[in-house]
Amino acid sequence: MKRLTHFLGMGANMVAAGMLAAIFATFLIQIAARYLLTQFGVQLELGWTIELNLTLWLWLVLFTCAFVLHERDHVKFDLIYSHGSMRRKRVFAVLSALSIIVALIAAMPDTWDYVSFYKIKKSPTMRIRLNYVFSIYLVFAGVIALRYGWRLIDVVRGRDLTRDDRDILAD
Amino acid sequence: MSFAFAICLAVLFGVAALGTPIGYSMLVASIAYLAASGADLSLAAEQLIQNIYTGYILLAVPLFIVAANIMNAGAISDRLLEFCIALVGRFRGGMGYVNIAVSLIFAGMSGSAVADAAGPGKMIIGMMTKGGRYSRGFAAGITAASATIGPIVPPSIPMVMYALISDQSIGYLFLAGVVPGLLMALVLAVMNYVLAKRGELVREEPVPLRELPRLTLRAIPVLFMPVILLGGIYGGATTPTEAAAIAALYALVLAMVFYRQLSLHGLGQVFSESARQAATVGIVIGSALIFNYIVAAERIPDALAGFLAGINLGPVGFMVLVNILLLLLGTLLDGGTIILVVLPLFIPAARALGIDLIHFGVVAVVNTMIGLVTPPYGMLIFVINAVTGIAIKDIIRGVLPFLAALLMALVVLAAFPDLILFLPRLLGYQG
Repeated sequence: MKRLTHFLGMGANMVAAGMLAAIFATFLIQIAARYLLTQFGVQLELGWTIELNLTLWLWLVLFTCAFVLHERDHVKFDLIYSHGSMRRKRVFAVLSALSIIVALIAAMPDTWDYVSFYKIKKSPTMRIRLNYVFSIYLVFAGVIALRYGWRLIDVVRGRDLTRDDRDILAD
Repeated sequence: MSFAFAICLAVLFGVAALGTPIGYSMLVASIAYLAASGADLSLAAEQLIQNIYTGYILLAVPLFIVAANIMNAGAISDRLLEFCIALVGRFRGGMGYVNIAVSLIFAGMSGSAVADAAGPGKMIIGMMTKGGRYSRGFAAGITAASATIGPIVPPSIPMVMYALISDQSIGYLFLAGVVPGLLMALVLAVMNYVLAKRGELVREEPVPLRELPRLTLRAIPVLFMPVILLGGIYGGATTPTEAAAIAALYALVLAMVFYRQLSLHGLGQVFSESARQAATVGIVIGSALIFNYIVAAERIPDALAGFLAGINLGPVGFMVLVNILLLLLGTLLDGGTIILVVLPLFIPAARALGIDLIHFGVVAVVNTMIGLVTPPYGMLIFVINAVTGIAIKDIIRGVLPFLAALLMALVVLAAFPDLILFLPRLLGYQG
């Protein structure tokens, strides 16, 4: 089980890296096409580069938060938390996880409606149905709620919380 | 302020104080606000999705992160260090100047203070403390202080964030950061000079002057980066976001082709690391924008502007007040959160008082960068502690004189808008 999640984690990390690399490459195509090819009289239709990049950027942020980032990677205001006793930290971690779970699950039905409503609309140049584009948010909200549910159980069962101290070099 | 908004703030501070990631705290608080005001709960998702999906200039953020990581992985910083030692190492307290010079030039390539402190900063601290020539506190202090120059000199991720919330031109903001960056370097150098005189700090073995042309030649590609970047934007050739992609490509070519220090495998790691950092920043930006939507819907900035007008606070009083507030917040919060969440509150008031928004933005960004080295919660202090193991209290003692110097620079920049606006005006800024 541990090895499976490890490999899945590595795979997710590679997908995230791939999305970022694709953003970079698409930008280079856009720049090359606009500034170099036009000099030789070649005109390419390039509206799709911007749209593709914005889609990838949305997916990169939400996908990476859902599947790649650990608790220690995030920016936090941990001044009060880090000065507490282990017992207080545990209580804080439980309350924190609970608040995220409650908020995301409470918002889920409305959010589901919002995203599925976009099945009637397609993106301007690539003609992808926008409910597909935006569906990553549902994945994000669902997975984050699940992960914090898992974390809640883990903390109650005595997770070593020092493992979640912020890894500053991951900034 | 409505009841729902009071709940929103209470939830935000409460949940964030539990140690919840800032991005998620803002998301939770926004959903609590929507529930309390009886609105559709999907508004939070809608704002987050639409702001990221339509935020073209935000795409500069991941690209600048890639550029900075390539430079650190590709040993580009090493060449820079060699060059700076040859240039200013010969003076008393020489490594202090080297430190400042490296930060200034590195700043022209990366948009992040943390990248500066963790990359070249770490190397310099190692060289300075070897054989006990400089105290660990001094070495760490000047490295932390000089790393704050990074996001002031373009390119700059914090400036992109400010452009986003204030609707100002990134191009002019970048230009406006050049003189303040040089001024910060100058005040730090003066402080280093003063300390060197008093403490008899050592000089470096002078590098023969005839070596200088060769070392300069080797470093020229690095020195050329800001020229390409700014030239591209102001020459009208590229948009700032495209310029960010060119910066990353340039760093890539330098590291892989010119210096041959970055393998394909290393490049993969750079992208993987950059993706994680970009998402960490991205979720904070996305959630902060939901929060800003709520703040705007509640008309808080207008109310604040009205209140400030009511107490007859002039532009000077306003700048003093805002700067003190930002410095206080900077001791507790991280710079990105302050720029995205706190600054929008003051923008209408600044506009109403006739304060130039480019001037205001640059001063505010300098201020939040100073916040990165103010104890107790100074991100750069933690970074240096993490990469070198120097005790936090030593770093704080070392950074204090330089912090004083930076504060003086801040006061000068706030008092004399022309220092900041001179360059943008030269290139057509009407303000």
